[in-house]
Amino acid sequence: MSVTVYVPRDAAALALGADATATAVEAEAKRRGEDVHVVRNGSRGMVWLEPLVEVQTPAGRVAYGPVAPEDVPGLFDAGFLTGGDHGLGHGPTDQMAWLKGQERLTFARVGITDPLALDDYLAHAGYRGLKQALELTPAEIVAQVTESGLRGRGGAAFPTGIKWDTVLKAEAPQKYIACNADEGDSGTFSDRMIMEGDPFALIEGMTIAGRAVGATFGYIYVRSEYPHAIRALRSAIDTAREAGWLGNDIRGSGTSFDIDVRVGAGAYICGEETSMLDSLEGKRGMIRPKPPLPAIEGLFGMPTAVNNVVSLASVPIILDRGAKYYADYGVGRSRGTLPIQLAGNLKTPGLVEKAFGVTLRELIEDYGGGTASGRPPRAVQIGGPLGAYFDESHFDLPLDYEELSENLGIVGHGGIVVFDDTVDMAEQARFAMEFCGIESCGKCTPCRVGSTRGTELIEKIMHGEDKSTNHQQLLGLLDVMENASLCALGGMAHLPVMSALRLFPEDFGLEASHVE
Amino acid sequence: MWNEIRGLREGVDYGTPPRQGQPVTLTVDGVEVTVPEGSSVMLAAVEAGRAVPKLCATDMLESFGSCRVCLVEVEGRRGFPASCTLMVAPGMEVRTQSERLTQLRKGVMELYLSDFPEAEIADGWSEFHRTLDDIGIKTHGYGTGRVHFDLPVDDSNPYFLFDPAKCIVCSRCVRACEEVQGTFALTIQGRGFDSKVAASQDDPFMQSECVSCGACIQACPSHALVEKSLFSGGYERA
Amino acid sequence: MKRQMATTRDLDPDLPYDTEAVAGILEHWRDIPGNLMPILHDIQAALGYVPPESVPQIARALNQSRAEVHGVISFYHDFRSAPAGRRILKVCQAESCQAMGSRALTADLEAELGCGLGETTGDGEVTLEPVYCLGLCACSPAVMIGDEPLGRATVAAVTARLAAKGEVNP
Repeated sequence: MSVTVYVPRDAAALALGADATATAVEAEAKRRGEDVHVVRNGSRGMVWLEPLVEVQTPAGRVAYGPVAPEDVPGLFDAGFLTGGDHGLGHGPTDQMAWLKGQERLTFARVGITDPLALDDYLAHAGYRGLKQALELTPAEIVAQVTESGLRGRGGAAFPTGIKWDTVLKAEAPQKYIACNADEGDSGTFSDRMIMEGDPFALIEGMTIAGRAVGATFGYIYVRSEYPHAIRALRSAIDTAREAGWLGNDIRGSGTSFDIDVRVGAGAYICGEETSMLDSLEGKRGMIRPKPPLPAIEGLFGMPTAVNNVVSLASVPIILDRGAKYYADYGVGRSRGTLPIQLAGNLKTPGLVEKAFGVTLRELIEDYGGGTASGRPPRAVQIGGPLGAYFDESHFDLPLDYEELSENLGIVGHGGIVVFDDTVDMAEQARFAMEFCGIESCGKCTPCRVGSTRGTELIEKIMHGEDKSTNHQQLLGLLDVMENASLCALGGMAHLPVMSALRLFPEDFGLEASHVE
Repeated sequence: MWNEIRGLREGVDYGTPPRQGQPVTLTVDGVEVTVPEGSSVMLAAVEAGRAVPKLCATDMLESFGSCRVCLVEVEGRRGFPASCTLMVAPGMEVRTQSERLTQLRKGVMELYLSDFPEAEIADGWSEFHRTLDDIGIKTHGYGTGRVHFDLPVDDSNPYFLFDPAKCIVCSRCVRACEEVQGTFALTIQGRGFDSKVAASQDDPFMQSECVSCGACIQACPSHALVEKSLFSGGYERA
Repeated sequence: MKRQMATTRDLDPDLPYDTEAVAGILEHWRDIPGNLMPILHDIQAALGYVPPESVPQIARALNQSRAEVHGVISFYHDFRSAPAGRRILKVCQAESCQAMGSRALTADLEAELGCGLGETTGDGEVTLEPVYCLGLCACSPAVMIGDEPLGRATVAAVTARLAAKGEVNP
């Protein structure tokens, strides 16, 4: 009787040595004559335990981690193939406190299945959403998604159903689904984990989207920094096509849909939807003015539903379990769950999927385990490089779109980056402007020139040069960038800078009274 | 002649090309104006005698939305949309002048000034200089910083030259080369602050795909691309 | 609008790059919408960079101008116009890694390798590049050697990995 041992293939697990661990497990089993079948699953999201090795026992899966190759013989000695006790053991995976309290809807399969095995996907509720969708009219699918309250998880939080409705109602000879997988925000990796850990969910979600809006072709625009995600997607797309889940007349339904993966080339701006469309067309990734909305005039001038990976991967469960099931999670106008990514200086960082409304303190202290350095946390950036910084006085804020917006911040793509008390917030503000400059497409002047001037002004303030004058000039610049920029890159760069100035004036050598 | 064909008054730059369509009536600064559907607010403002300052827009080219000088306010709508890329709508109430708009326009012009040779400001007569006059700003508060003044002048073409120091990266030359002439000899090279107008693969103009048609010279608002005949004794940077 | 394409030079057999490899890639992507990005990726994968001399060949195949192709190549930081070192070491410079010491790691790697970000070591072995997020933010600081990610990176771990992979180009 073969024993199944799981060793993740997620890039974060690989970054911590999962390949060597998998090789060691196979070699040791062979040496001992044990019949072991190693499955390369996605990651459970407990990145501090990677490589997290799981063993399938009659009583369920048992977790051990982090497992280095040199730990492997000891694990065999301890009888880990039958769930035996070991210093690295964590007991049944499902019962681990970190996982148990989560509400995994979008990430239900990630870490559990073999991400490239279609039969495993089907055995874990895969393609049930599409089967439902094939029974519905396009308008009924759109209504389901609208009622679920799903909003764009890429950061803009626009209601997905309303966007789809616009594309559905647009008349055109060709429509497209464009999946935005250009996950460039520092502190975020949920798109990557879906693409590597459950690519069929994204493929299914896109297929449902295609049927809903009348699109027969979709592109996934993946950043080049994600080579493992690109390979996983291409493999899964080929498998789905061979099995008739993509292509002409899907499973005899009369619906046709196919997908191509396209790779970015090192441009954060291409995560902005219009810039991504230009890039997909083979052009410089320049921002297009809106209107026209991509939903009406998008890729190659055709109506295009542009959606983030997590948004699309959340669609199958909405169709499978119903809009209400999904909408019952969450608070206020933030419905459903959010895959939250805990990053930076944390003891136990990783991916936590929870209903909206979870507080920062629960995330940082309970899930995150406090700082990795053991020093007091000082600043937290939420929502990527264009997100605001917060201090500990905000830790009781619930994570929800409206609450953060009222507190001059954003949820963005759900990334939380923690800094301890050694952080220099003037340097962080300077970096925010520098990053804007590095990634500016260069089309509009507030961002093209403003980001460079902003970096210079903050440097001057840091060097104590005409502090008061340069501070005033900086405030004026941030106002111009916020209100006159063409897109959110220039338009939101004030958030990290202003929040750093407001909460940590001493780091700039400024009096608190100056920054009110 | 060209303007007559297009139904536009001679000597007036409407900012965006004319459209044909059903009449749409809106007000600009309280002045009622009727223009074809699909027209820009910028064009309607000119028609209403309330022209908005602009740099990257000209009625020979499709709107682009990059200079952010032509911002306006629209009743019932948040923010400050660019009038060149904003389409007219029935009953729309547009404001082209307010303290806030002046503040933002000055802020944008200050950024241009921070990367424009100071000595070229006083005696200039280009569209860029006129826009500075319109908005009422001649200096900036950024002090010293990165600039493009040391990029070499390209005088390879016998008829015109390109001085990148005076380029405001509005892409009007690139777009004229594409939309007016159909040559596609120009591009923007790089991105962000490093964006630079380049002929072919950053070749000298004479070695590039340029056919010396002059469309880019016509289009340039800042005399970065300029006829050599204007400088009798040869071009010298101020 | 009808394009007045300026004629590009005829293919020169003495051009300093593999024109046949490029021709094969152009043929593979022929008539596929939005094919310039994948073409440039494939050329870089095959030749290690996108030779400026190949731009006329690309432009002619796509019925574009050299200017258009050059504009695209120069926009994206991934595309190189000159060969890089034998291996590419990307060091994350973004916030999550900053919170875990990436500034010091970068400085130490620069000192260890004797080259700055965007530069190649004197022996042509390693090109050191900045990257803004590898999506490995729960094991910061992160680097990538070729396609191989390394989390909670230290100078010792990175140099050990570089030494171990000395024989193979990942």
